[in-house]
Amino acid sequence: MNSLLSAGLILLLGFVGARLLKLIRLPNVTAFLLVGILIGPHILNLVTPDIFTASEFFSNLVLGIIAFSLGENFRLDKIRVGMKQVMWISIVAALGAWVLVSAALIIYFVTIEIPIYPAIVLGAAASATAPAATVLVIREYRASGMLTELLLKVVAIDDAWCLIFAAMAIAAGNAMRAEVFQMSIVFAGLGEIFGALLIGGILGYISSRLSKFVRTREELLIYTLGLVLFNVGLSIALEVSVLLSSMMMGLVMVNMARENYKFFEVLRSVDTPLYLAFFIISGAHLDFGILYKMGIAGILYVTFRTIGKVYGAKLGARISDAPEAAGRWLGLSLAPQAGVALGIGLVAKTAFPEYGDYIFTIIAATSVIFELVGPLLTKYSLMRAGEIASTE
Amino acid sequence: MDVSDFISNFVLGMIAFALGSNFTVKQLRSAGKPVLWISILEAGFAWILVTLVMILYFVIKHLPIHPALVLGAAAAATAPAATVMVIREYRATGPVTEMLMRVVAIDDAWCLLFSALAIASANALTLGIFNTHVVMEAFFEIFAALILGGILGALLYFVSRFIVTREEVLVATVGFILLAVGLSMRLRLSPLLTNIAFGIFVANIAKNSELFFAALREVDSVLFLAFFVLVGANLELDIVPRIGVMGLLYIIFRVVGKILGVKLGAWISGAGSNIGNYLGWGLVPQAGVALGVALSAKALYPEYGDIIFTTITATTVIYELVGPIFAKYGLQKAGEI
Repeated sequence: MNSLLSAGLILLLGFVGARLLKLIRLPNVTAFLLVGILIGPHILNLVTPDIFTASEFFSNLVLGIIAFSLGENFRLDKIRVGMKQVMWISIVAALGAWVLVSAALIIYFVTIEIPIYPAIVLGAAASATAPAATVLVIREYRASGMLTELLLKVVAIDDAWCLIFAAMAIAAGNAMRAEVFQMSIVFAGLGEIFGALLIGGILGYISSRLSKFVRTREELLIYTLGLVLFNVGLSIALEVSVLLSSMMMGLVMVNMARENYKFFEVLRSVDTPLYLAFFIISGAHLDFGILYKMGIAGILYVTFRTIGKVYGAKLGARISDAPEAAGRWLGLSLAPQAGVALGIGLVAKTAFPEYGDYIFTIIAATSVIFELVGPLLTKYSLMRAGEIASTE
Repeated sequence: MDVSDFISNFVLGMIAFALGSNFTVKQLRSAGKPVLWISILEAGFAWILVTLVMILYFVIKHLPIHPALVLGAAAAATAPAATVMVIREYRATGPVTEMLMRVVAIDDAWCLLFSALAIASANALTLGIFNTHVVMEAFFEIFAALILGGILGALLYFVSRFIVTREEVLVATVGFILLAVGLSMRLRLSPLLTNIAFGIFVANIAKNSELFFAALREVDSVLFLAFFVLVGANLELDIVPRIGVMGLLYIIFRVVGKILGVKLGAWISGAGSNIGNYLGWGLVPQAGVALGVALSAKALYPEYGDIIFTTITATTVIYELVGPIFAKYGLQKAGEI
């Protein structure tokens, strides 16, 4: 098996799998993940090591594209109306997940007599949502409406809250362990966010200005992909959030010139194979063995993260006078969890030698569950809110 | 396999697939004869001229002549990528352009046959036996590549009934090209020929075949750019000074052979003087196929392998750099840009 053969099979089986699972009304994202599990190392083993090695590069590129496209939803001339709702809902939903998961786990950890700081870090990880799956579900079913609009903005910015929460949680964890509260960690978290916004903003500004030299469609595609890659690479090198900087770049570009929609449009014409491969490789990466290790803590995490998001979004919607249906269904559509949460798990792993592995295992295991179930919940919520035309 | 290998194999597969679209039965009814004559004669002339000059050079240098035979066969191949890019960039259209795309596509098949013949003859010189099976294997390799391409074409035809959206067309086309390249590498067949055959079958049997080729054109610019930047980054410039008299002879006589061969082929088949005069300029680039021949020569004659390999690599660098300029010149002269 060589890598080209493996890549060909990934694309074609993804296509066939999505088509077959459409018969039982599963979203494409779920189909891709299932195909990934099927051809992954545990079952058919059709994915070569080279492809796994390249998958880090690849997933950063895809996340960059997704976050960049999310930036398109923040047109300032249109957004004024909904921004209050977006802020309230995203903060309260993220906070809801953090508080409830932490509270439930603190109680559990106290009863089994282990330190409680892992509970605080785990709660912070629970506040993150994964934009990729949500965006793909919206696209596949051509969802449109108030909930969709809010959702696209909430998934874009709640990673910022999650980063702040995580920084605070890790600082708090350190304070409990070593009895010093390191403000520097919180500042590092803020730096990660503002650094990302700064980089994305500057790059977006420069590239919008330079775009007058782009003539043909081919050049446009090269220019846009090059920008996304450059921005992702720079963010990684400077250790700021890739998602936030890409989103900011998209945000600045969409607001600078009316004709800048072309950058987003040209990406849409090529991104399908990338998304497909991204989710299949994610599926192949899913480690089911870890599910057995998550224990009661994992079950509590899954339950209370979901409850926290649902009621947090509802509360946020009520505070900000968002439409009733949007408030009721938004929380559930925020279920997918992936990279950002895992990133926090990785940080925790190095920050807390004793319980880092435990924290990471729980986040990884619950991510498996949320990755698989999340897209279904997103689709279900959009359907219940009446934003998916009943094509099926 | 590293990423740069992956990209270059994939891009070559895409180019070969796209070349296949120039071989519909309808087009070949009028163009079939000229394509065969021109491609056989340009590849054959390059082979024979370079071989003769190399033999002369080796005799003067008091070296055995069998490595010269193999070196000459490498001269028959043409690299399609650079020529195709030039055609695309300048939106060249017309009879010379069309014929050029067909000729660059199939002369790799002749190169495979010639190099098998050359290796068999070289063996005959050194061992005193002419290995017919080497030649048979080359025939087999070409036919197997055609059959594999045909099977994949039939599969895509079958799958295409389930393709609804534009995105799915893209996914399926890219997936099948990767599959064709991967399978042919696995089976030790020529990825170029396999993908050309695949493209030919798709162009001829699928009803909306243009959809597949168009889907690729939407996305390929990025890949082409990456491909040529990687080619540039991998060019072994430090080898160029070691090119020597032998390399210079190779460079000159390969091009002379190609241009004369095209002229003669166009004259015999009545393809017209425009094709005869200017098509040859598009056949200068040399790359993977020639390097492949050089590699097998290196394996056969380790003691001369280095000199063969250095010559081919160094001339490839020069051809890659000047080839696009020649191609543009030829197409301009032909009035198709």
